[in-house]
Amino acid sequence: MAVCIAVIAKENYPLYIRSTPTENELKFHYMVHTSLDVVDEKISAMGKALVDQRELYLGLLYPTEDYKVYGYVTNSKVKFVMVVDSSNTALRDNEIRSMFRKLHNSYTDVMCNPFYNPGDRIQSRAFDTMVTSMMVQVC
Amino acid sequence: MSVPDYMQCAEDHQTLLVVVQAVGIVSEENFFRIYKRICSVSQLSVRDSQRALFIRYRHHYPPENNEWGDFQTHRKVVGLITITDCFSPKDWPQTFEKFHVQKEIYGSTLYDSRLFVFGLQGDVAEQPRPDVAFYPNYDDCDSVEKRIEDFIESLFIVLESKRLDRATDKSGDKIPLLCVPFEKKDFVGLDTDSRHYKKRCQGRMRKHVGDLCLQAGMLQDALVHYHMSVELLRSVNDFLWLGAALEGLCSASVIYHYPGGTGGKTGARRLPGNSLPSEAANRHRPGALTTNGINPDTSTEIGRAKNCLSPEDIIDKYKEAISYYSKYKNAGVIELEACVKAVRVLAIQKRGMEASEFLQNAVYINLRQLSEEEKIQRYSILSELYELIGFHRKSAFFKRVAAMQCVAPSIAEPGWRACYKLLLETLPGYSLSLDPKDFNKGTHRGWAAVQMRLLHELVYASRRMGNPALSVRHLSFLLQTMLDFLSDQEKKDVTQSLENYTAKCPGTMEPITLPDGLTLPPVPFTKLPIVRCVKLLSLPTSLRPQKVKSLLGQSMSTKSPFIYSPIIAHNRGEERNKKIDFQWVQGDVCEVQLMVYNPMPFELRVENMGLLTSGVEFESLPAALSLPAESGLYPVTLVGVPQTTGMITVNGYHTTVFGVFSDCLLDNLPGLKTSGSTVEVIPALPRLQISTSLPRSAHSLQPSAGDEIATNVSVQLFNGETQQLAITLENIGLEPLEQLEVTSKLLTTKEKLYGDFLSWKLEETLAQFPLQPGKVATFTINIKAKLDFSCQENLLQDLSDDGISVSGFPLSSPFRQVVRPRVESRPTNPSEGSKTGDLGHVKTLEAILNFKYSGGPGHVEGYYRNLSLGLHVEVEPSVFFTRVSTLPATSTRQCHLLLDVFNSTEHELTVCARNNSELVLHASECQRMAIQVDKFNFESVPESPGEKGHFANLKQLEEERQEARGLEISSKLDIRWRIPSLKRSGEASVEGLLNQLILEHLQLAPLQWDVLVDGQPCDCEVAAACQVGDPVRLEVRLTNRSPRSVGPFALTVVPFQDHQNGVHNYDLHDVISFVGSSTFYLDTVQPSGQSACLGALLFLYTGDFFLNIRFHEDCKSKELPPSWFCLPSVHVRALEAQA
Repeated sequence: MAVCIAVIAKENYPLYIRSTPTENELKFHYMVHTSLDVVDEKISAMGKALVDQRELYLGLLYPTEDYKVYGYVTNSKVKFVMVVDSSNTALRDNEIRSMFRKLHNSYTDVMCNPFYNPGDRIQSRAFDTMVTSMMVQVC
Repeated sequence: MSVPDYMQCAEDHQTLLVVVQAVGIVSEENFFRIYKRICSVSQLSVRDSQRALFIRYRHHYPPENNEWGDFQTHRKVVGLITITDCFSPKDWPQTFEKFHVQKEIYGSTLYDSRLFVFGLQGDVAEQPRPDVAFYPNYDDCDSVEKRIEDFIESLFIVLESKRLDRATDKSGDKIPLLCVPFEKKDFVGLDTDSRHYKKRCQGRMRKHVGDLCLQAGMLQDALVHYHMSVELLRSVNDFLWLGAALEGLCSASVIYHYPGGTGGKTGARRLPGNSLPSEAANRHRPGALTTNGINPDTSTEIGRAKNCLSPEDIIDKYKEAISYYSKYKNAGVIELEACVKAVRVLAIQKRGMEASEFLQNAVYINLRQLSEEEKIQRYSILSELYELIGFHRKSAFFKRVAAMQCVAPSIAEPGWRACYKLLLETLPGYSLSLDPKDFNKGTHRGWAAVQMRLLHELVYASRRMGNPALSVRHLSFLLQTMLDFLSDQEKKDVTQSLENYTAKCPGTMEPITLPDGLTLPPVPFTKLPIVRCVKLLSLPTSLRPQKVKSLLGQSMSTKSPFIYSPIIAHNRGEERNKKIDFQWVQGDVCEVQLMVYNPMPFELRVENMGLLTSGVEFESLPAALSLPAESGLYPVTLVGVPQTTGMITVNGYHTTVFGVFSDCLLDNLPGLKTSGSTVEVIPALPRLQISTSLPRSAHSLQPSAGDEIATNVSVQLFNGETQQLAITLENIGLEPLEQLEVTSKLLTTKEKLYGDFLSWKLEETLAQFPLQPGKVATFTINIKAKLDFSCQENLLQDLSDDGISVSGFPLSSPFRQVVRPRVESRPTNPSEGSKTGDLGHVKTLEAILNFKYSGGPGHVEGYYRNLSLGLHVEVEPSVFFTRVSTLPATSTRQCHLLLDVFNSTEHELTVCARNNSELVLHASECQRMAIQVDKFNFESVPESPGEKGHFANLKQLEEERQEARGLEISSKLDIRWRIPSLKRSGEASVEGLLNQLILEHLQLAPLQWDVLVDGQPCDCEVAAACQVGDPVRLEVRLTNRSPRSVGPFALTVVPFQDHQNGVHNYDLHDVISFVGSSTFYLDTVQPSGQSACLGALLFLYTGDFFLNIRFHEDCKSKELPPSWFCLPSVHVRALEAQA
C-alpha cells in the first residue's frame, strides 16, 4: 500500500501530506515536492496535446530504486501524489487508479463541508480514516 | 576514461580538440590572457571551400581520455599550443626540450603543435621556425590570432589527408581494426580472416570516417557514413561501436536541425558559406597540399531526405545508443555524456518530460572512484540541467545534494562557503525568499517542513563559515516566517539557539550584503509579540491642552458662506482616519497603548520596546515586558517625550527579543487595528501641581461634563461654620507659569445654600506671577457651609403657648405681658431628641474648582491647561430653629422675636445674638430664645430699576424681595453658635424661616402712629400724670411713610379701668368727660406727609385709667394690613389737684 499520500493545492503548496513511518517524513516531503515538476510537465503536455480531459490519472511520475511515485490531477488542478514501495510488486496500475479515485471522492466530501475554507489544510477525521486505510501494510 | 566532461553538447562532435598548456613557470594571469585570445579563434572558414572548421580549446585534458580518440574523434587531441617564458638565450635549449617533452604526452594523436615564447630577443628569436613564435612580452603580441589561424589551417590539411586516405575503399588492402582501450585484449588470437571480422573492421572504419567528415565540415558525407556503419555494426552485434555510430548520427542531425547550437553558449555560430572567397584566397600558403586538390563539399544535396534524422528520431536514436553503452561498465562516462547531450537537445525541443527521464537515468550511472570534487560537480550539473528543462524543484533538490556533498564527512576540509552558496541558490526552487515581506500576505504558501530544513542548513552552514551575523539573520527569518509550523519543542529549541548566537553577535536591522552581491534584508520580529491594536492615548485630563477661543478663529470658521459641503465633509472624514483630534505637548510624557499577544508556549521577554516616530524629535523611553505564555491580549503602554513641535506620526515600534533588534512598522503588520497615528505636538506648557491643607478624599466626584478630577479633598463642617482651604500651587514643569484663572462650579444639590459657598482672593497670588519652575505660591479659599436651619416635622416641640404671640391671634393685655418672663427654659426629653437627631441629617455639598493656567511657548500660541479640584463637604446640623414667632414689645418700633433653638449636635453648644446673653444648650436640648429687635424699614433697601426688568413675573420678584429681607434681618440679628469643647463656632441664619406673616410684623409699618398726652409721647412703660379738674390735651399724630396716600380715618377714644382681675370697667361716664367730641378725624395723608388731630379729657376723680383708641371700620381700612394699625396703649394716672 501507499507509504505517503499528499494533496497539493492549485498553487502547488500542500493541503495534506502524510507518510509512514513518520521518521522519514522529510524524505517524503522532498520526494513529493520534486515530483511536482513532473506533474506540471504532464499537465502542460495534456493541455498541448488536447488529450481527453476526463483522464485524471497521470501515471508513474518517476521511479527510484526504492519507491514509485504516482500522480493524479483533478479538474480544478488539485493534485494527488502517492508514493508506493517499489518492492510491492503486487500493486498494479488499476489498483493505483482505484485508490486515487477513492481519494478524490473523499476530497470532494471535504470540499462539500461548508465550514471548510478552500486553501486551508485538510483536517477531516473521515479523510484521515480513509488515508489510514490506504496506508495499512498488507503483508 | 574516468573523467566525464559535463559541458559537452552534440555540436562538439564536429570540433577539433586543441590543448593549450603552459611550459615552465608562467603566471596564471599571463597564461589566461593568451588563452582567452587563442579561444576567440573558435571558428574558421577554409579557403577555397564552403566548409567551416570549429575548434574546441582546453587547458587541461586527461591523457586517458585521449586514448578514446579512435572511438570518437572529437575526443582526440589534434593540436597542442604551449606557452612559455624565456628571458635568456642560454635557457632556450632547455625550454625547447620541455616543448618536445610536452608533445610526447599527446604525440600519438597530434596533427601539429606550436610553441609561443615570450621575452626572448636576439639572434635566436630572429631565426624563422615553423613551429615556434617569439614575442618580446605579453603586451606586444598582436599577431597571436593570425598565427592561430595558420595553425588551424595546418590542422585542417592533415585532417583532410586522413579523411581522404581512410575514405578510399581499397578492397584489396586489409582494413585495420579500431579499438577502444579496454577492447584490445579481447581480440588476441581471433581469426582476422573471417567474414565476421572483416565486417566489424569495415563498420568501425566507416564510423571513424564519418567522424572525420563531420569534423571536416562535410555533414552529408558524415550522415552517409554513419548510416552505412550502423548497418554493418548491427549485423555483427558490435554494440559499443553501434552506439557510437548512432550517437554520431544524432550529432550530425542535431547540427543540421539546430544550427544555433544546443549548448546555449555565447556567440552565434556562423553558418558555412558566410566567408568570402577573396578572404579565403588570402590564406593561401606556399607548400600546401595542392597536389591533392582540395575540393568543396559536393555532397550537400545527396541523400538529404534519406539520411538526416527527424527531431523525433534523434531522441529515439539517443535512447538506443545509451542502452547499448549501458552494456559496458567501462563505457559509463560515454553513457553519461550521451545523456547530457540528449538532455540539451530535448531542452531545445521543449520536451522536459523525456529529458527528465534521461536525467533520472543519468543519476544511476555508476562511475568508479569519483572524487569529492567530481561528485559536487556532477550534482551541480544535474541541477543545471534540470533548471534548463524547467524542473525547478528537481534543480533545487540536486543543488542541495551538491551543497551537502561539499561538507560530506569524508572531506578533510569541508567547503562551508561553497555549501552556503549552493544552498542560497536553492531557495527559489523551494518557494523560499529571504525577504520577510514576501511572507506578509497572510497565509503561508509553501512546503513548510522542507523550507524549515533548508533554513536550518543555512544557519548551520553560515555558522561553520564563521559568520555569526548570517546565522542570526537566518535563524530570525526561520522563527519569524515559520512560527505557525513549529511545534512547542521546536520553538524552544530555535529560541534557545537564537539566544546563544545573539549573546555573541546581536541581531540588527541592517541589510547583510554577501560577497557575491546578494543582499539579505532585515527580519523584524512582528510576531514576537503579535500586536493587535495600536492606540495613541491623549494626555491626562489635567494635562490636556486646550485652545483659547479667539476672534481670528471665529472669523476663520465662518470664512466659507456654506455651512455644509460634501467635499469638506469627505476631507474631514479622511483626515479623521489619520489625524487624531487631541494634541500632545512638547516636553510632556506621551503614551501609546498596544494590545499584544504572545504566541510562544513560554514566557516571552521583550526588551527595549519603544516607539518609532517621524515628524518631530521624539525621545522614546524603552520598556521591558514579560508576557505570560500564550497570553490573551496584553496591554502595553509605550511612553516617550516629543522634543520639538509639529505633526508627529507613530510609524511603528522597535523591540529586542532573543537578542534580535527589530524595527516593526505599522504598515507592514497584517490584521492591525489602529485609530490613527498622527498627532499634533503643540509648544511646551507649564505643569501645575496642587496640594491642599485638607485631607485627600475617598469620594470621587462624578461631574456631568465628563472632566476628570485631578484631586479630591473632603471636609466636615457644622451648618453655619466657615473653614479655610489653603491651596499650594507648585510649578513642577519646565516653563514659567504666567496666567492663572480660578472658577468654581457647584454640583446640583437639593439643598438650598445661603451666602457664598466658596470665596477667594487671587490678587496677592497673581502678584507673584510669573511663577518660575520649581516655585510655590499659595492662596486661601473660604468654605462656608450655610444651609437651611429650619426644623423637620418630627422635631416640632410644643412649648407652652402663651397665647399672646403673633401666630394669628389678637394682641393680649399688656399686663400679662409684664408678668411673663422674657426667657423661658424647659428641657425636652433627651432620649427622644437624640433619636431624631441621628436619622441621617448629614447633608453633602460638592463643588469643582477649575484652575485654568498657561505659560511658556504654548501660552504664546494660545493654549492653556485645566486642572480640577474636587471638593466634598459634609454638613452636619448644628442648631435648628424649630419654631419662629414674634411678640409685640412695649414700643411700637420694637418687637420680640421668639426662636425655639434645638441643639442637634452631641456636644454642649452656646447660642447668642447681638445685644443678648448666651443661651446654653446641652446635646439634643431645645430652648426658647427671645431677641428684642428694632423693626426693620425694608423700604430703604435699594432696588435698581434695571433689575426689575430681568424678572419674568411678579412671583419671582416677590421671592427675591423676600430673600433680601431675610438676609437683612439675619445680618442684624447676628445669631452665632459655639461649641466650647471643640473650639468650633459658626453662625445661624433665620433666612428661609420667616414667613410672610412674621415679616410683616418685623417690618416697620409705613404708618407711624404717635399719641401725646400734654405734649409728651406716651409709652406703656411710663404712665402719664395729670391732675383732677384740669383738662388734659390729647393728640393723635400720623406720619405716612408708604408710597401712597392713606386715609381718611376715624378714631374713637374709649377710656376704661383695669381691675387686674380680668374685668374691665368701661362705665366711666361720671368719672371722665370729654371736652369736645370723643371721636377724632384724620384727613387723607399724602406720602411723606403728616397729620394730627387734637382733643381734651377732663378727669373728675383720681385713679389709674387706660385709653383704648379704636378705628372705625370702613371700606378703605380693609385694604391696608392690620399690622399697620398698631397704636400704643395709653396709661394715664389722675392725681389730686394741688390746693
